[in-house]
Amino acid sequence: MSKVALPEGFQDLEPFVEKWALSREVERNRQRRSSTMQQLQEFYDAILPRMDEIVGYLNQFSLDEMPKDAPRLLNMGLSLMEIAPAIELLGEPDESGVFDAERFHIVEPGAGQP
Amino acid sequence: MDSAIQGKKWTLQYPELGTSPVPVEATISPGYFERERRNVFKCSWLNIATSSEIPEPGDYIVRELEILGTSVLLVRGKDGRVRGFHNVCKHRGNILAKACSGKANSFVCGFHGWAFDTTGTLVHVPDEDQFHDLNKSDFGLTPIEAAEWNGFVFASLKPRETLGEALGEWGEQFAHYPFGEMRPVGHYTTSVRVNWKVFMVAFLECYHVPRLHRRIVPDAATGEQNPLCHLLSVRLQGRHRSCSVYGNPNHVPSPAEGLAFKYGPTVIQGEKAKSAKPNGVNPENNANWAFDMNGIFPNLILHVGNGFFYKLVFWPQAVDRTRWDVELYMSPASNAGERISQEFSKILTRDLYREDLSTVESIQTGLASGGLSHFPLSDQELLVRHTFRVIDDAVRFG
Repeated sequence: MSKVALPEGFQDLEPFVEKWALSREVERNRQRRSSTMQQLQEFYDAILPRMDEIVGYLNQFSLDEMPKDAPRLLNMGLSLMEIAPAIELLGEPDESGVFDAERFHIVEPGAGQP
Repeated sequence: MDSAIQGKKWTLQYPELGTSPVPVEATISPGYFERERRNVFKCSWLNIATSSEIPEPGDYIVRELEILGTSVLLVRGKDGRVRGFHNVCKHRGNILAKACSGKANSFVCGFHGWAFDTTGTLVHVPDEDQFHDLNKSDFGLTPIEAAEWNGFVFASLKPRETLGEALGEWGEQFAHYPFGEMRPVGHYTTSVRVNWKVFMVAFLECYHVPRLHRRIVPDAATGEQNPLCHLLSVRLQGRHRSCSVYGNPNHVPSPAEGLAFKYGPTVIQGEKAKSAKPNGVNPENNANWAFDMNGIFPNLILHVGNGFFYKLVFWPQAVDRTRWDVELYMSPASNAGERISQEFSKILTRDLYREDLSTVESIQTGLASGGLSHFPLSDQELLVRHTFRVIDDAVRFG
């Protein structure tokens, strides 16, 4: 990881980079399911109020031509949407009693077939 | 109270479907399943892909279709046409294309090197002189009928009609919906121990929404006006079926959902703030419309809204085993905000589908237990009744 992980102005979110700047849905989902509610809440509380600034910054660039540190910020925004149901609807990291997440294969470009 | 939520109006609209309970046999009998294979799957047009999966000449995909007992190779030719073939070398029967997708000018068998072009023509046989009067034109790949319709690719082993005829009135209604302009945002697949019809009809009624989905969609599809998620309208179109689903106008978005809608259209709010209703959907112009559920004979479901659609395909593997492929399509994200917004729609749907899947294996166990011989269906489950009826007609009468 480079010395400055996130673009200027977003350094306060750096403690969350390692856990949440994940480029694949399957990784973000596994991170959500293996976190405690307290860990999810800390990330949610930190990033939610910053989303307008994050999107304002990212929308300056085309999705194909982002500066090197911008995709981390994008991936953290995607992680917010990954964990939102846990915080806002379920009150638990993953819904208990539903179909096994590991049997529900996420197909992603370049991720190979299950 | 909304007129759409009084009385048993759908049964009155389609009295020919009757009100009898449905026999369990159709969901557990191996003999019935074999007749489905022969009379439903081998002679119907089946959705195999979307056009955008093979957009350019030479693009190909391979699909293993257990129900047809074959591997289908779909390839777009230099003339832009999509052709289908049994993915089998005509020399000694080896499976030809081993990758599940790619780009190729020709397909070369890994056994002896026979090569076929994108029209299925045998173009090269190594050491050809050693064969006895081999006429290469007799050994092209065995074709499987393939055709495109509005962004989708269908194939059929023994079609009895054209794809247009098979899609009929439903196809005319949706002929100009912009399916082809949308791209996959999310894709999931799984193999589930359940009969394919039992699985499929779980996505053709909303009776289960207030109970099964109370945690993931507590108020988006139900509200004071329509607490039990009654359907807004129902349309039976030959072997196909469709209904319009209610969206609660007083739904209170969560904080993340509020952001998602600010950055782009979502599957809950749609594009209503931005654009007019697209062609084909909600033909009765119901107020408080969320999306339409379409069941396309035999095994395709399209949930179609304003700015999004879900494609759900149910592939029977055995009488009690089904492979499921589900994709969410939306307009391509033009910036990071839209990408993040689409993630909201995708994740909410994924978590919702895992609720749907939580019941289906337990239902199959129950159906096979001998604990019931028939199941009753309510007016709100008319599309379930229609599904079993049209498949049973095909099984009985071919």
